[in-house]
Amino acid sequence: MMLSGDEDEEKWLAEGIAGVQHNAFYMHRALDSNNLREALKYSAQMLSELRTSKLSPHKYYELYMRAFDELRKLEMFFKDESRHGVSIIDLYELVQHAGNILPRLYLLCTVGSVYIKSKEAPAKEVLKDLVEMCRGVQHPIRGLFLRSYLAQVSRDKLPDIGSEYERDAETVMDAVEFVLQNFTEMNKLWVRMQHQGPGRVREKREKERNELRDLVGKNLHVLSQIEGVDLEMYKENVLPRVLEQVVNCKDELAQYYLMDCIIQVFPDEYHLQTLETLLGACPQLQPTVDIKTVLSRLMDRLSNYAVSSADVLPEFLQVEAFAKLSNAIGKVIDAQVDMPIVGAISLYVSLLTFTLRVHPDRLDYVDQVLGACVKKLSSAPKLEDSRATKQVVALLSAPLDKYNDILTALTLSNYPRVMDHLDDGTNKVMAMVIIQSIMKNSTCISTAEKVEVLFELIKGLIKDLDGAAQDELDEEDFKEEQNSVARLIHMLYNDDSEEMLKIICTVRKHIMTGGPKRLPFTVPPLVFSALRLVRQLQNQDGDVAGEEEPATPKKIFQLLNQTIETLLYVPSPEMALRLYLQCAEAANDCDLEPVAYEFFTQAFMLYEEEIADSKAQVTAIHLIIGTLQRISVFGIENRDTLTHKATGYSARLLKKPDQCRAVYACSHLFWVDDQDGIKDGERVLLCLKRALRIANAAQQMANVARGSSGPVVLFVEILNKYLYFFEKGNTQITASAIQSLIELITSEMQSESTTLDPAANAFFASTKRYIEFQKKKGGAMGEKYDPINV
Amino acid sequence: MPSRRRTLLKVIILGDSGVGKTSLMNQYVNKKFSNQYKATIGADFLTKEVQFEDRLFTLQIWDTAGQERFQSLGVAFYRGADCCVLVYDVNSMKSFDNLNNWREEFLIQASPSDPDNFPFVVLGNKIDVDGGNSRVVSEKKARAWCASKGNIPYFETSAKEGINVEEAFQCIAKNALKSGEEEEIYLPDTIDVGNSSQPRSSGCEC
Repeated sequence: MMLSGDEDEEKWLAEGIAGVQHNAFYMHRALDSNNLREALKYSAQMLSELRTSKLSPHKYYELYMRAFDELRKLEMFFKDESRHGVSIIDLYELVQHAGNILPRLYLLCTVGSVYIKSKEAPAKEVLKDLVEMCRGVQHPIRGLFLRSYLAQVSRDKLPDIGSEYERDAETVMDAVEFVLQNFTEMNKLWVRMQHQGPGRVREKREKERNELRDLVGKNLHVLSQIEGVDLEMYKENVLPRVLEQVVNCKDELAQYYLMDCIIQVFPDEYHLQTLETLLGACPQLQPTVDIKTVLSRLMDRLSNYAVSSADVLPEFLQVEAFAKLSNAIGKVIDAQVDMPIVGAISLYVSLLTFTLRVHPDRLDYVDQVLGACVKKLSSAPKLEDSRATKQVVALLSAPLDKYNDILTALTLSNYPRVMDHLDDGTNKVMAMVIIQSIMKNSTCISTAEKVEVLFELIKGLIKDLDGAAQDELDEEDFKEEQNSVARLIHMLYNDDSEEMLKIICTVRKHIMTGGPKRLPFTVPPLVFSALRLVRQLQNQDGDVAGEEEPATPKKIFQLLNQTIETLLYVPSPEMALRLYLQCAEAANDCDLEPVAYEFFTQAFMLYEEEIADSKAQVTAIHLIIGTLQRISVFGIENRDTLTHKATGYSARLLKKPDQCRAVYACSHLFWVDDQDGIKDGERVLLCLKRALRIANAAQQMANVARGSSGPVVLFVEILNKYLYFFEKGNTQITASAIQSLIELITSEMQSESTTLDPAANAFFASTKRYIEFQKKKGGAMGEKYDPINV
Repeated sequence: MPSRRRTLLKVIILGDSGVGKTSLMNQYVNKKFSNQYKATIGADFLTKEVQFEDRLFTLQIWDTAGQERFQSLGVAFYRGADCCVLVYDVNSMKSFDNLNNWREEFLIQASPSDPDNFPFVVLGNKIDVDGGNSRVVSEKKARAWCASKGNIPYFETSAKEGINVEEAFQCIAKNALKSGEEEEIYLPDTIDVGNSSQPRSSGCEC
């Protein structure tokens, strides 16, 4: 007789409720008139409504609750002997005359509860009788509700410690026996349900069984509320018997649910003290039971307990909670061969979380968990399940989050081994997580050994892994990743120069494997990191004695030379040129003339051979001039060679204005404004004159080509150079030369062909204002300016 | 028909997992407290006799599972409740924020005849924890919420120390009694005298 739909079910429920109400009405009348016989008759008829087989557990529960509420009134009537005049013992006999077994047993339970309350019979015996009698109903839904009724009405009448029902002969054990028996019977009914009815309604039946589960689980709640169930009794009696029932029922649904119940209803300290027993049941469960959720919840509970108070920690150590959990997880994984890899890893994540919360100081535990995970991972092909990789990332991130410190993770020998099992994409994600952790916590990694481990961990970012699909790379992501690596390089630092050099060599070794796409990102930070070391050494007096291979600037420069060279094959000559110049300047500061000269040579070769773009050339030549100007280490000969080349390059730039500006910039190469600086006024003047000639040429070219003037602003710029050297005391620069230059500019600006250039006008005007200002200032400078008229 | 004198008052305790529903009930009914956390499964009640205005009442106090996965059969037991007690933990903002959900869920499922005036009582439990230093929900905030929901009576309790528990349940009983919830009066269409109707039955003979 199957249900044909919700509508029918609603109808049947309505009919059932009407039946309950109808009979309850007559029951109330009988109660009002203290008529026991009628009360029993109508209550039995009312309870007959619960004999239906047509309702799902939810609907049946609604009907049950109606009858349940009515029975409370009947119970009050039973209690009051003055109203019905029958002794409770006789009443207990009398209700057994009801015709049908289900109403009979409900009435018996109701009277039984009054019987116990009256204390006219030992609670133990009444309970025993009731729990036996209920065997008479073997229909699962009806039986489960009947027994749950029994559990409810007996709830406050169990012979617990300190309860009024506890007597000499009655102990807590009797209460436990009663509840355990009811639990066992209910579980049997519940498990048996799955074998009833045709196979095609299996899904619906599973749903119904799921709805009924709390009726069974409630017995465990009742057990946990019995005060007399102390640790001893729980350990020796309650838990083994409950587990026996759970294991032997061999039912997936029941096993999963009841394990969860046991974990949730009994207190933490009981679990800790019985871990072996509880965990021992796990591998015996059906292979389909979701044991990982069960164990995760257990570990969650226990770790919450551990952090709740420092006092409980010794308990964890005393019972070796970690070893037991770890062992149990291993056994479960071994026993459940078909468990998907994601399940196994989630178990390790839970165990790791537990470890980090309960034993944060035990890195060996953490490493042990990772090691177990490696073992599991290596037995399977490379991870492809995205849920599984997510779990591995969670596993690897947990120690970083906990310790806020990558250094701790670096000491875990199994950490990189777990990472080896990630696919390339996840490997990169994890590498980024690691770098972000370092940046967030400003962790300084201070030994070459740690750097080695770290780079091994993040190798997904450092080089192309085997078979990496290059074309799938997202440009933005790639840049972000490489910028992160660049930032990371600055976090690798040690004050000790020997160690720092080792760090640099280690980093270099790794980044050199990065290939042309990565080098432009990674070489510059390495160069600057090495230059920092050079500057540190340069401030130290004398070499450190006794070292086999002391870190000397010379050695580092050699290394840098080779490192920068790799950029040529990228090719990235402009970057290389800048880095060479940086190195040259650093070598200057270390007083290493040949080294600085070598770097300049490299830079010049690059300029000549590799830098073809005119704009890039302009930028490069200004960088060269700027650097060269600051370098003081060169002897006359070397200096002449280099400045000669620099001015030569300047004059050969493609566009006249660029030539002009580069050439006047070269004037500074001959006049360094410090105590020992070169001061060759004549050659300064030569440069400026040459610049003027180029400006003139530019002017003429412009006239010829477009019929307009060239950039007058060049003259104004040159005028400013004249003024600079004039003030600095270069005797080659005379007031009259300046005067004629001013006049030249004035006439140029007034010439008809000149197109208006407001910027140039403004520049010239403010230059003239400056001259006026200097004239008026008086003193030596005022005198110097006196001959110039604007 | 004269209305029956009410002697049984049904009270439902609701609130998040771990706020102390079972502990409050145990403290009130049995004067006992245990520090251990034990989840509740399904619904389950204890009774207590209370004297009020010279009359004796039986208070039927339903303790419920705070964790949804232990409420598999639904909430048919809400039906006929005379008062609903909403409990939160003063040390947990989330448990306070959820009071609204519990209240609304109750009103939908129990569908009392006059939802606006159905008696609720709010208890802020665990005021003893850490000497009150870990408290995150202020009394002011809780009272403001209670005021906004139609002046729900509010008590700050400690099931552990037994603070305010008796007072709170006195108030709960008083409000349950005042509740306008009348029992449904059932009148049969025909009144048959003597001849009992055959129970409609189906299935086996049990």
